[in-house]
Amino acid sequence: MAQTLEIESRGGKAGTPLLEVQNLVMHYGTKEGDVSAVEDVTFTLNNGEAIGLVGESGCGKTSIALTLLRLLPDNSVVKSGDVRLDGESLIGLDEEQMRRRRWRDISMVFQGAMNSWNPVYRIGDQIREALRLHWPETLTYQEETERIAALFELVGLNPATMERYPHEFSGGMRQRAVIAMALSCNPKVIIADEPTTALDVIVQDQILRELKKIQKELGMSIIYISHDIAVIAEVTERMGVMYAGKLVELGSTIEVFHRPKHPYSYLLLKSTPSITGPRRKLAPLEGEPPNLIEPPSGCRFHPRCPFATQQCIDEDPPLTTVGEGHSVACWHWQEVPEIGGLQK
Amino acid sequence: MADTLTPPTGELENFDPQRVVEEPLWRVRLRLGWRSFRRNWALFNDNKMGVVGLAIIALFGLMALAHPILMATIWSNHLEGGKNVYDIRAGADSIIVTKTIVEEVTDPLTEISQIEAMFLGTGVNIPEIGDTIESPLANPAPPVFSGVKHPHILGTDPFGGDVFSQLLFGARAAFLLGAIAAISSVALATLVGTISAYFGGVIDTLLMRLADLVILIPLLPLLIVVSGFWNVELTMLGILIGILSGLGGTAIILKSQALSVKVKPFIDAARIAGGGHWRIITRHIIPNVLPLSFLYMMFAVTGAIFTEAALSFLGLLNIQQSWGIMINIAHTQGYTLEGFDVWWLMFPAGLAITLFSAGFFLVGRAMDEVVNPRLRKR
Amino acid sequence: MVKYIAKRFGQIFILFYVFLALLFLLLDLQPGDISQQFVGNPNIPPEAKVIMVRQLGLDQPKIVQLGHHLWNYSFGMDMGVSWSSYPREVADILFTALPRTVFLFLTATVLSFWLGFYTGKLVAWRRGTVVEKSVMVTSIFFWTVFYPWFAILMLWFFASQLGWFPIGKFITVETWIGSPFSADSVFILMLTSIAAVTLVYGILRLVIDRSTDDPRSRQNLHRIALWSLIAVATVFWAFNSRRTYAMDILWHTVVPVLTLTLVNFAGTTLLTRSSMLETLREDYILTARAKGVPESTIRDRHAARNAMLPVTTSLVLQLAVVIAGGVITEQIFSWPGLGRALLGAITAEDIPVAMGALALIGVLSLLAHLVADITYAFLDPRIRVQG
Repeated sequence: MAQTLEIESRGGKAGTPLLEVQNLVMHYGTKEGDVSAVEDVTFTLNNGEAIGLVGESGCGKTSIALTLLRLLPDNSVVKSGDVRLDGESLIGLDEEQMRRRRWRDISMVFQGAMNSWNPVYRIGDQIREALRLHWPETLTYQEETERIAALFELVGLNPATMERYPHEFSGGMRQRAVIAMALSCNPKVIIADEPTTALDVIVQDQILRELKKIQKELGMSIIYISHDIAVIAEVTERMGVMYAGKLVELGSTIEVFHRPKHPYSYLLLKSTPSITGPRRKLAPLEGEPPNLIEPPSGCRFHPRCPFATQQCIDEDPPLTTVGEGHSVACWHWQEVPEIGGLQK
Repeated sequence: MADTLTPPTGELENFDPQRVVEEPLWRVRLRLGWRSFRRNWALFNDNKMGVVGLAIIALFGLMALAHPILMATIWSNHLEGGKNVYDIRAGADSIIVTKTIVEEVTDPLTEISQIEAMFLGTGVNIPEIGDTIESPLANPAPPVFSGVKHPHILGTDPFGGDVFSQLLFGARAAFLLGAIAAISSVALATLVGTISAYFGGVIDTLLMRLADLVILIPLLPLLIVVSGFWNVELTMLGILIGILSGLGGTAIILKSQALSVKVKPFIDAARIAGGGHWRIITRHIIPNVLPLSFLYMMFAVTGAIFTEAALSFLGLLNIQQSWGIMINIAHTQGYTLEGFDVWWLMFPAGLAITLFSAGFFLVGRAMDEVVNPRLRKR
Repeated sequence: MVKYIAKRFGQIFILFYVFLALLFLLLDLQPGDISQQFVGNPNIPPEAKVIMVRQLGLDQPKIVQLGHHLWNYSFGMDMGVSWSSYPREVADILFTALPRTVFLFLTATVLSFWLGFYTGKLVAWRRGTVVEKSVMVTSIFFWTVFYPWFAILMLWFFASQLGWFPIGKFITVETWIGSPFSADSVFILMLTSIAAVTLVYGILRLVIDRSTDDPRSRQNLHRIALWSLIAVATVFWAFNSRRTYAMDILWHTVVPVLTLTLVNFAGTTLLTRSSMLETLREDYILTARAKGVPESTIRDRHAARNAMLPVTTSLVLQLAVVIAGGVITEQIFSWPGLGRALLGAITAEDIPVAMGALALIGVLSLLAHLVADITYAFLDPRIRVQG
């Protein structure tokens, strides 16, 4: 099958499952003990869908992203669970097979695009490197250049700037170029890890719109990872809330925003101001995330939870379905009040 | 359940204004200092090489202390010609060795040439080949522990001086020189660095151009010329090395550290509170640059020891005794190519200089990991 | 880029004059008037003393003397007459010694940089292994070993114990008896051929880079160019009648160069290792991994390429060690270069030669800094593109 130079998603039919994360458990071994960074996480990304993972820093969002690409540091162990892409397990692949899938099947937009470019090579050449490694047929130098130019145009950059070095780009330009690089090999999945965190608010908004537009146009499947719940609200259809390495709530973005069922989601939303929604008093989330070397017994959120009971200390709540595609891991989800909601 | 919801306010609840007034400031500082020392020691201890370095330095410290003690006790009664055999400069052991007179000397320890024998004897008649002659020690003697009048644990040098005694004394000289050079170098560098960073402008430009110049000047050749013109002694050499190394690279590095301290909010706070320039520099900037200064002190010791030993080896210094001089004597007396056969001439001194430098270098590297978290493993 | 180099060049130029002024100060401060020193020296004939007084301008005010000093050392290329080997010109003595020193420094620096960088890179990549630990211990030993002692051991081991190499010196006198060539002319020709190969290779590289955009073909052409140039140089020397003499000189250089290289190599290894370890924490390394770049390419093209930048800077600070090592090497191996000239002059109280040698070593150090700066500018696009 001849490959066109079209920029597209190589995923399958929209709505069918593409990436399945099943009961993933990942620990970091340290001198002080095992850090349980990802604990029993399950979710599915469908073709053409944008989903989000939200949580405080250190809750295991980035660890999940790195597990998907198998880019974890040496001291990490995937204890159990599986990651399947189009039904094929990525955990079982050997290093060389995995290397070939990186970027070609799953690419990534990193947090802090400032430092994700190698300062000594031209931006264009760094994208070219990805093409050389993963494009199925060898392209001529000219074809490579044309494709990079097309990618630059798609993300709103002047193709002439591909000759420049990273230091000659502004923060926003670099982030656009990172997106261009992520799209370069027509991946099936893009993981966007804090794609706009280091940028100023106006540029943030431009980039998010751009990303959303590209995702819709190309039917791309994207996992957004952010601590900023507003970012997730803007660009995703479904979202998961993570706390201390566990996925505590999963549902459609609108549903979670209007009717969060987990006390943590509730408090997180209460602590975030809304410009478009009704005025309300902000409630800061008290306490600190737990130490993951010795995580709290039962529900990991119980030390900070206003609804906590003895059951929460003794038993770990399972993820249970509470509505249409909405599941939550809490013993007291029925007690969580409704929020006025944030207009999408 | 209520207690789980209260925020951790332990510090605030225990806050007692009375206590703060009553506890003298130095005690608070001491407590804080001790706490940070313990934390840093734990980090330092992680690096086994650093601990090895510390052990090496401690060993040399013991050696330096041992010399005067030994001179006053065990070695005090070994007189020869009115002078103590173990004295590092005047002492010479005149062990009498019986040597065979031969035509061509292959083993200088047991054989002697005709001409040398003639000078040794009465000088009237030429000694016969094959005869033996009593020769005082004009050659280095191998190590002897006991059974002789004056035991030499590491043998003697070509003039009959005790190598072990010289080695111990060398440790003293090395510490003295290292301390002088390191303290003067780092004191100067800290001052130049902080002043340059704090005031900026013309002062900064001038001082930094000076630093550039000092880096560019080849230190050893310059010191060779200086020691050719002047009579350079140990203290002077230490100060000279201190000045030359303190104005150069160390000043630049400490300046960049001082710059990063200068932009911190507490400096602004101190200025708003009416702190004068000098007070801000000495009370706020220098204490924060100090850890890095200590680090460079370690490297300054290494550099100073090498320079001194190299100059002594080249025979250019006017100092009493040092490891460099021990090697210089063996070299100039023609034992350069004897290698292992007269190992006690060069190996003890050579190894001592190497280990001494390595000790400070290793401690410096380990301190680097404490001061600079980017170098740590995780 | 041009602006940056011009600026550095200007700075170095100014520093050179400040350095010369400093030398004058040193001369002036030294105990005993210089005129007294040579007037009292019985080795110097009276007519020479007259020349010297005029040349040094000792009867004139200090500021004029300084002016003379600066002029003589730079434009006049006149550093006076040697006192110990009168009537040889200082410039003559020193410029005979210069190429030998340059050769020693250059070969040792280039070799040690290349080897040290390679080792440091590999060692950082394998952090925590036995290989890393043993390389580290060895490097720390070589870096802290007392250099004169180490040089003596090397001389003893290779020349006396194994007998593979000569005991110091520049040439074997017996080989050169009846030689139609002077040692210096052969040596200069050797240096010229090395310089020519380097220069032509540089030009060819530029031509290649202009003619093709594709990095793959660029790399191949670079290799072809380098190897064919080396082949040409080899053939040239194989059929040259100076061959045996050149081999003799080469034979004498092995141990000194090896000794100096080992010590600098250890320094570069230690530097590269820590620089690599810092680079490997950078985000762009993670990006490269995510891109599916093979590990060896990440190490060489991404990490090592960036780790080279701080190593180049630190080499400047390490230069003092190289120079000190060079002086000691020359002394121990009786290598007739600048360092030995300096030491000999100090021992013989030959002030003009000593000052001249110091000035020339200073110039070498300045030039080395300039080269390091330019190299850095070439390696770092942040300077190359903007500065």
